[in-house]
Amino acid sequence: MQRNRPPSPQTVSVLLALVADPARWRYGYDLVTEVHLKSGSLYPILVRLADRGLLETSWEPSVDSRPPRHLYRLTGAGREFVAVLTAARRDRTVARPHRRLNEA
Amino acid sequence: MPFFFVFLVTPIAVAIALYRRNPRRFLDGPTEDAPLRLLRWAISLLSPQRAEWGQAMIGELGHLDGRLRRLRFALGCTGAALVLPPWGRATGALWTTIAITAASFTIYAGLAFHYQLGAGSWIALAVVLIICVGYLLGASALLRRPGVALPGLLGGVFATGVGLALSGFTAVDQVTYIPSPWQQWVRVIAVPVAIGAAGTLWRRDPAAGRRVARLAALSAGLLQLLYATVAVAILGGGGPPDEDGGFTVRGTVSDRLGNNIVDLVVSTLIIAMVGWAAAALAGRLMRTPVPSADRVQEV
Repeated sequence: MQRNRPPSPQTVSVLLALVADPARWRYGYDLVTEVHLKSGSLYPILVRLADRGLLETSWEPSVDSRPPRHLYRLTGAGREFVAVLTAARRDRTVARPHRRLNEA
Repeated sequence: MPFFFVFLVTPIAVAIALYRRNPRRFLDGPTEDAPLRLLRWAISLLSPQRAEWGQAMIGELGHLDGRLRRLRFALGCTGAALVLPPWGRATGALWTTIAITAASFTIYAGLAFHYQLGAGSWIALAVVLIICVGYLLGASALLRRPGVALPGLLGGVFATGVGLALSGFTAVDQVTYIPSPWQQWVRVIAVPVAIGAAGTLWRRDPAAGRRVARLAALSAGLLQLLYATVAVAILGGGGPPDEDGGFTVRGTVSDRLGNNIVDLVVSTLIIAMVGWAAAALAGRLMRTPVPSADRVQEV
């Protein structure tokens, strides 16, 4: 059974990085450096997003005897999910401004 | 005698196994760097449904330069591969193993605190923690292999049961037991051989048998540690002194806890090593040549 837990802050940061340019395919290591996550945290997040149908994956052909590389970008459902998530987060901060002050 | 035999043969057997796996390694040195070898090992632990993600990690590593950067990336991916679901029925087994380890560690820490055993004991506790975490990681990897969890854990229970039957089940038995020569042979040779051979026969596969032996070794080590730590907690500084026991209550307790750590490492090594060899041997004996007529029919 799929649990509907809210995404972790790390997952949110990965989603935001992916939605910044949703049409672009991204490499795993690019995401590691962009969101300052360790590879050990990033890959489980990517696996979960793909399992939920929010992330699509593809393979880049190998070049110069280097192995093929995995590429990632959000699916349509993934973009919708981020839009809903962003709206919900905006509503929450408007409703409880003191939380934002605390978080800052 | 059996102890010396096992510790003499272990390094030779490991060297033979490494040579058989990749003979060029001994002639030309490793063909891959450490991060790639580490990551290849880690992704071999992933369940088949996650194989693509393992290849994704390998692919990404292939485009990274710089030894430190590659190593950090590979270490992170190794951590992820060790915990990445699905785990299936292995989850329950792993939680049981974690609970056994946590119980041993908590009792050990309680004894160190209660008897004020000093800095040395806390260092020993840290060593126990490192060993146990290593055991849990090893067990977590083996538990996810198909068909290994049940025979491996049963093997661990069997080895522990035989060990306790030989020594006696009371707390006093645990600290005063000195095995006779035939008991040594049973513990060091017969039981691990039975586990390794049974593992191979169970799965009809020597590779599975070797994994069963390793998992049995880890689970037996952790079970015996728990039993022995509980025994020390029951006896405290009382009961008959163990062979080289301290002369104070603190010294005696500290000594008994130290013996438990040595037993943990030694018994695990013995079961893993002898069981591994027995599984391989059983696989070789099990392999029967296919008659040529059958081979033609298969084609």
